[in-house]
Amino acid sequence: MTSDSDEHDTPAEVDATVRTLRRVAVGYFVVFLVAIGGVPGLTLVLDWWSKGRVIGGMSPSFVMAAFGLYVFFFVIGLAAATLSTAVESRMLGGPDDDAADEDGLK
Amino acid sequence: MNTASLVVLVSLLIIVGGLALVIRPRGVSTLDFYLAGQRVGVATNASAICGDYFSAASFLGVAAAVYVSGLDGVWYATGFAAGFVPVLLFVAAPLRRFGEFSIPDFLGRRLDSDRVRLVAVGVVQLIILSYLVPQAVGSGITWQLLVGQGIGGLSPYATGVLVSTAAITGLVAFGGMRGTTWTQAVQFLLLLSALVWLAIAVLGSGFNYGASVAELATDPLVNPVHVDGDWELATTPNRLEADAPASFAEPGARYGGLGQVALIITLVMGTAGLPHVMNRYFTSPTGTAARMTTVWVLGLAGLFYALAVMLGTAARALIPDAVADHPWLEELTVDGVLRVPEHALPVLGRIYGGEAGLGLVAAGALIAVMSTIAGLLLASAASWGHDVYERHINPQATQRQAVRAGRSTVVVVAFASAGLALGLRPESLTALLPSIVATMVTWAFALAGSALTPVFILAIWWRRTTAAGAVAGMVVGALAAVTMFAAGALIGDRGLGEVFMTPTMVAAPLAAATTVLVSRRTTVPAGLERIWLKMHGTAADRQAVRLARLTIAGVDQRPDDRGVGDAQR
Repeated sequence: MTSDSDEHDTPAEVDATVRTLRRVAVGYFVVFLVAIGGVPGLTLVLDWWSKGRVIGGMSPSFVMAAFGLYVFFFVIGLAAATLSTAVESRMLGGPDDDAADEDGLK
Repeated sequence: MNTASLVVLVSLLIIVGGLALVIRPRGVSTLDFYLAGQRVGVATNASAICGDYFSAASFLGVAAAVYVSGLDGVWYATGFAAGFVPVLLFVAAPLRRFGEFSIPDFLGRRLDSDRVRLVAVGVVQLIILSYLVPQAVGSGITWQLLVGQGIGGLSPYATGVLVSTAAITGLVAFGGMRGTTWTQAVQFLLLLSALVWLAIAVLGSGFNYGASVAELATDPLVNPVHVDGDWELATTPNRLEADAPASFAEPGARYGGLGQVALIITLVMGTAGLPHVMNRYFTSPTGTAARMTTVWVLGLAGLFYALAVMLGTAARALIPDAVADHPWLEELTVDGVLRVPEHALPVLGRIYGGEAGLGLVAAGALIAVMSTIAGLLLASAASWGHDVYERHINPQATQRQAVRAGRSTVVVVAFASAGLALGLRPESLTALLPSIVATMVTWAFALAGSALTPVFILAIWWRRTTAAGAVAGMVVGALAAVTMFAAGALIGDRGLGEVFMTPTMVAAPLAAATTVLVSRRTTVPAGLERIWLKMHGTAADRQAVRLARLTIAGVDQRPDDRGVGDAQR
């Protein structure tokens, strides 16, 4: 059993990590909002978006709402999770990082 | 429903119940009862979260919304699925790292305030009740539509409410979070299997998704209306273009421009404040696992909702031509269009799978209701049993007493919601109930997104958040949501009424602004540095990973029984 002193983070490290993760989260959230607002929003300004036919007779708007946005949510979620975990691995953990890197866990 | 359908339904319920009994917690510990010992893996937890989250509103409701409103109905699916993106970005990992048993416990400890904990308990219970009652109503409606017979002199509706409530209460009270986790995971897989089977059957029959959407777009959207005692088809007006008919493949059948955005924001913001879903994150072994669990949920939710949208479209396209070959459809339809859109999936099930197909879809609907009720009951038990009983009523409680309090809460809350559902659903109002279900579920999202989510996110990411600020934010968010919703019910769902009926777009910023303003004028809790380290540091995660590695290494080096036993301990 390891003791608490084996793994620790310093306040300065955590503060810096929080600021970075907050920037990452807000950045991805803005992209997410643009996409989720853009799909219904484009209908109001672009006729082709809801009346055009692209895949098997579906409009771009229908394709995005029925499939595209779910793929987008998964991709943006995976990218954000990967980046956030990488940020934490690099910015927290001190000298034990190397050992973890060798194990392929980070 | 015939005997074959009933056998399918009962068999599935017995499997789920048996599983809960087998996996029930053996020891008497609140950590085990509420959090499954915090050892739930990523795939299992993701499936359990989906079982928790996908209620009857998702299983029957999304397909029904698409069936009746076309593209505007798809926004429900989009909003339900999108809600997990903010959860992943802002909540999952820090929530798990900070730990605790429930949302009120998390807020109470983060802000070092019993007042915050008690106000949060009030808000959480309101959300749970708003979500629980429509689930009970949904189970009554499902039983009434698909079984059609009562037991012991009760009406079919009352039988459905009481049977499903009693069954799931037993599972939760005995199984706790450990049993519930596995039953919810299995329930989700059964639910997904029902949708996948239906999709394969529909596509196998030659259904062309794209061509069907294009064909449906050529005619104005029509739906049955009840006029002077007779059913007739009426053209659905377009809310985006005055005097034009709505089209299945274009927006405008249900919402105006503002209404679409207001609905999506309400559903997106609400997910992060749903107590039964957020409580599941405390069961992950680490913060990183909680984050990856959400990625899995996004993938599974995308698959689930994409199938539900396709099947709603298939029902609209295929049922008119099926009436000639299936005479039983005549009493359910008006010129080939279903009178009750929630029948879309059960009807497709019966067309392609006969009575067994109908039984499978009916089982799916009841399972969806029951797994959501299970999650809500556990969240309620954690909130009352842990946050109120253990902390305020009997702080000296033993583990056995605390678990007993949790189990008692499960029973009381379950039957309170069943009682409300029975009161809300008199026999004479059968035709009105599906809209009540949808309205109440949306209301739960609105309340969660308005009162809890803003405070929750600020408490996690803004150090200056204070107890007074959080209390003010929750109260203002809840009051704004309630007031707007009541006003919306009075003025109707047109124009500004659309925003009033889905008030998060206004109420959430109001709650956030209040939290910030009050927090700036009050003092942050003592020991903030320690709290911040625990919530955002990864030392505990790394230690858990290291311990797991040592355990695995120990097992590898000493594969005899004693070594394995030691490692597991």
